[in-house]
Amino acid sequence: MIKNGTTDGNSTPARPRPLSPNIQIYRPQLTSVLSIANRITGLILSLGAVGLVIWLSAAAAGPQAYGVVQSVIGSWAGQVALFGCTFAFFLHLCGGIRHLVWDTVHGFELRSIYISGWTVVGSSIALTVTAWVISLLVAGWPQ
Amino acid sequence: MIIESSDQVSRLSWFKRFPIPRNFKVTPESRIEKGRTWPAPADAKRVKAFEIYRYDPDSGGNPRLDTFHVDVDDCGPMVLDALFWIKNKVDSTLAFRRSCREGVCGSCAMNMDGTNWLACTRFISDMGTNATIYPLANLRVIKDLVPDLTHVLAQYAAIEPWLHTKTPEPEKERLQSLEERSQLDDYYECILCFCCTSGCPSHWWNGNRFLGPAALLQAWRWLTDSRDEAKGERLDALEDPFRLYRCHTILNCTRTCPKKLNPGKAIAEIKKAIVEREK
Repeated sequence: MIKNGTTDGNSTPARPRPLSPNIQIYRPQLTSVLSIANRITGLILSLGAVGLVIWLSAAAAGPQAYGVVQSVIGSWAGQVALFGCTFAFFLHLCGGIRHLVWDTVHGFELRSIYISGWTVVGSSIALTVTAWVISLLVAGWPQ
Repeated sequence: MIIESSDQVSRLSWFKRFPIPRNFKVTPESRIEKGRTWPAPADAKRVKAFEIYRYDPDSGGNPRLDTFHVDVDDCGPMVLDALFWIKNKVDSTLAFRRSCREGVCGSCAMNMDGTNWLACTRFISDMGTNATIYPLANLRVIKDLVPDLTHVLAQYAAIEPWLHTKTPEPEKERLQSLEERSQLDDYYECILCFCCTSGCPSHWWNGNRFLGPAALLQAWRWLTDSRDEAKGERLDALEDPFRLYRCHTILNCTRTCPKKLNPGKAIAEIKKAIVEREK
């Protein structure tokens, strides 16, 4: 008989039973990796929105403040961050569309789950690259 | 890689676990210590190493990870056979649940190479090196590979898995058309092994209030039963930020189900049914 964590039936357990490991050992899969990626990109987009507000406020404040912000964005680190935000935007967008389709109870066969998952990964990479190519062609490298 | 069926084993030899510390969120009594290594028999030709989670409640010690070397030529083809080989020939104190040895009963559900499956239907040849075996994830451990299922079974009981009727008892049984009966297909086959609930990250973080995929799949099995007359009450009981809506459609459940069922789809059906009755 097993009661309250002891094997002899005593009511006072010597020590709590251990919890078997979960996230520490469970294999990452496209299902769980894209789920956590959707959350992380959502977080990045919230931070990116703060950056957008800073950029717009600087533009409203005058040429000097705008120049400072532009030089930060134009720097090597700024461009990497901007590229990361673009990718986060498209991954979150495509992931969101995938969730909308699921809400209609479509695409739940395992094969569909994996095809739509890899489609999200592939299309967000393609969209990010396309967006950057277009913006560089139109606006050129930042000064 | 496109996974077509949940019995496909991932061949990736890297990215076997998330890049987090081994003891991330682990309370002191659950920390896994280094265990002992049991050598292979001297005459063994083909040897496979199994790292197996051990916990002895009587020792007062922490869980540990023992390494066993199994003579594959002397042993059956399945992981359950390897566990029997170890229990019979190396360490008789190894504890695990098993019954049917053919994927029907759900007793031998455990975490093998990082995913939940039945030990009786997983080939030893599909296991990596070293093969790792843990109890079902995120459950209190009674001994070795035997987890305490009290909580998840209580969650199953909470969805009242029996027929609710209001109309007078018919003279004979309550009949269904073939089409009505087919609504239960892919839901009624659940063997309650709890591979899905144990593999669900939402259940890891909110398992005390989120019912988990196994219980919710059963909830849909009764909601979609043409003979059941308590659809409204059942949906009322489920419409809750935690019980149902902690499901974020991660779909580890559908990926891991050893009966190839689709808890993720069942949960989506419940969410849709709740939206549709608001119309």
